[in-house]
This record gives sequence, structure tokens and C-alpha cells, in this order.
Amino acid sequence: MFKRAFLLGIVSGALAGVASLVYAWRYREALGVDFSTVAATTSIIAASVGGGVLAALGYVLSYKLWKDKGEIIFNLVFTILSFASILAPLAVRLPLDVEMPELFPGLTVPMHFFPALGWFTLKPLFIKQEIKN
Amino acid sequence: MKKIIFSFATLLALTAVFAFSVAKSWEIKKDYSIKFTNDDAEGIFKTFTGSIVFDEQNLAASKFSVSIDVNSINTGNGMQNKHAKGEEWFDAAKYPQIVFNSTKIAKTGTGWQATGTLEMHGVKKEINIPFAFVPKGNEAVFSGTFTVNRSDYGIGKPATGTGALVKIEVYVPVTKK
Repeated sequence: MFKRAFLLGIVSGALAGVASLVYAWRYREALGVDFSTVAATTSIIAASVGGGVLAALGYVLSYKLWKDKGEIIFNLVFTILSFASILAPLAVRLPLDVEMPELFPGLTVPMHFFPALGWFTLKPLFIKQEIKN
Repeated sequence: MKKIIFSFATLLALTAVFAFSVAKSWEIKKDYSIKFTNDDAEGIFKTFTGSIVFDEQNLAASKFSVSIDVNSINTGNGMQNKHAKGEEWFDAAKYPQIVFNSTKIAKTGTGWQATGTLEMHGVKKEINIPFAFVPKGNEAVFSGTFTVNRSDYGIGKPATGTGALVKIEVYVPVTKK
């Protein structure tokens, strides 16, 4: 269980990282703003993979603590934490030489949901569940 | 002949007097910096314009007339920028400029001091701005630090003590016009 969850965390995190980079590129092209000094490629990938690994740990822990209800509790907590984490880019104070900080949340807030999206999308490939009638 | 020589001499003398009475004009370079700091926020104003006439030898003809675009405020946070431009603070829609016009410039023990009117948020108050002037060839740098009480200008929620004091740091490199 731990091995599969860990692998899922890394793969979904990497996928979220790639999605974030594509989104950042499109955002820069569309709006002409460059936040690469405060949201660098390596930071985006590291944060996404880190989020996936933390999700894997949380998933395993939830199963150990709450058995059958672990899944739903984990899903709820993962979604709530992803949602709560958007406060960080809204509150962050960027260096004063960075132009148009008003557009920074528009770049980073969607990225905070990508790890959860990646996890929920890829989970059936890594962890199969029996449907109980 | 004597009349012509006398006329030329008078003209020459007048020109010399006029040349001495015109103080040097300076053009503001792009790498200026207008920073503000207080207990709650800090940031910069990105747009600063105006005319600077300053001559150490001719303070009577020296004058600063400068303005800051309130909409160019940057605190590093988008929501805070919007808040700062809003009605409760600078009310940028109604008062888009911060203006300083000097009325007197004097030498002090450590540098110089400009006395003049600072207009912010529709309120005009006389203030003294101490500054340093470092000339280097055709270029020079004006720099200074001073404090204003934002409550005097009706900016933000009324406050007393250090909460109302805003430290302004000005660094203005210039070139001779």
C-alpha cells in the first residue's frame, strides 16, 4: 500500500508540476507578466512533487487510522487543504521590483489545485478498490 | 561711439548678472527610488516626475516642484495595493498626485533643507525635508529621509504614535540639463 501510494504521489506530483509549467507559460504569454524570479521552474516542480509525497503519507496514515473511512476522510482533508493553501499566494508580499503583483494570485492559485487533481485522476491506475454492493 | 561701447558694456553686464542668477536645472534619471515604511506596510512609488532647480551657490533661485503618481504605489501585494489606492487611504481616483513645491532651500550643518508645501490626499501642509546633495561632474544625487504623519493628511484610519508615522526615503539621481 505505502509503495503504491508513494509512487502515485510522485507521479501525480510530477504531472501537476508539468501542468503548472504549461499554465505558467500560457499565463505569461497571455498577460505579458513574468513571475519567474519568484515562481521558478525548479520551485514549481519541487513544490508539486512535495505535495504529492505529502498526500501519499496522508493517504497511508488515513487508512491506518480510520480503515474503511480513511479514503473519504483523506479526500476531504486533501481538498480542504488545497483550498486553504490559496491564502498563501493571496497574502504573499513579493519583492518590490516585481511588476504587477495583482496578477500573481491568478498564476499561483490554480496551481495549488493541480496536485489534488493529479492525485484523484491517477489514483485508479495505482490503487484499485473493490466496489461493495 | 562712446554710446555704442556703453550699450555693449551694459548688455554684457546684464547678461553676466542674469547668468549668475539662473540656477542649475537637473533632469531626473530613471533609477530613482521613493520608498515608504511604517508599522503596517512598506513599499515604493514607481512614478516620480518634476523639475529640480538647485544651485549650491544660488539657493534663492533653487526650487523643487515634484510629484508622485499615487497609482504607481507598489507594496508587493496586489490586494494591499488596491487597498492603498482606495477611499480609506490615498483615494487615488480623487487625489491621483502627491505634490511637493519648495518655497525655501537652506544650508544646514549636515546638508540642505527644503521647506515647502506637501499636498497629499487633498491636504496641504508645510514640511521641512532634509536632504544631501552629492555632485559628480554633470551628474548628482539628491537623497533624504523624513517622516510624515499620515493622520495629518487624513490618510487611513486615525492613529496616534508610531502607527501614524510614515518614513519616506528618497533617492534621486540627476543629470545636468
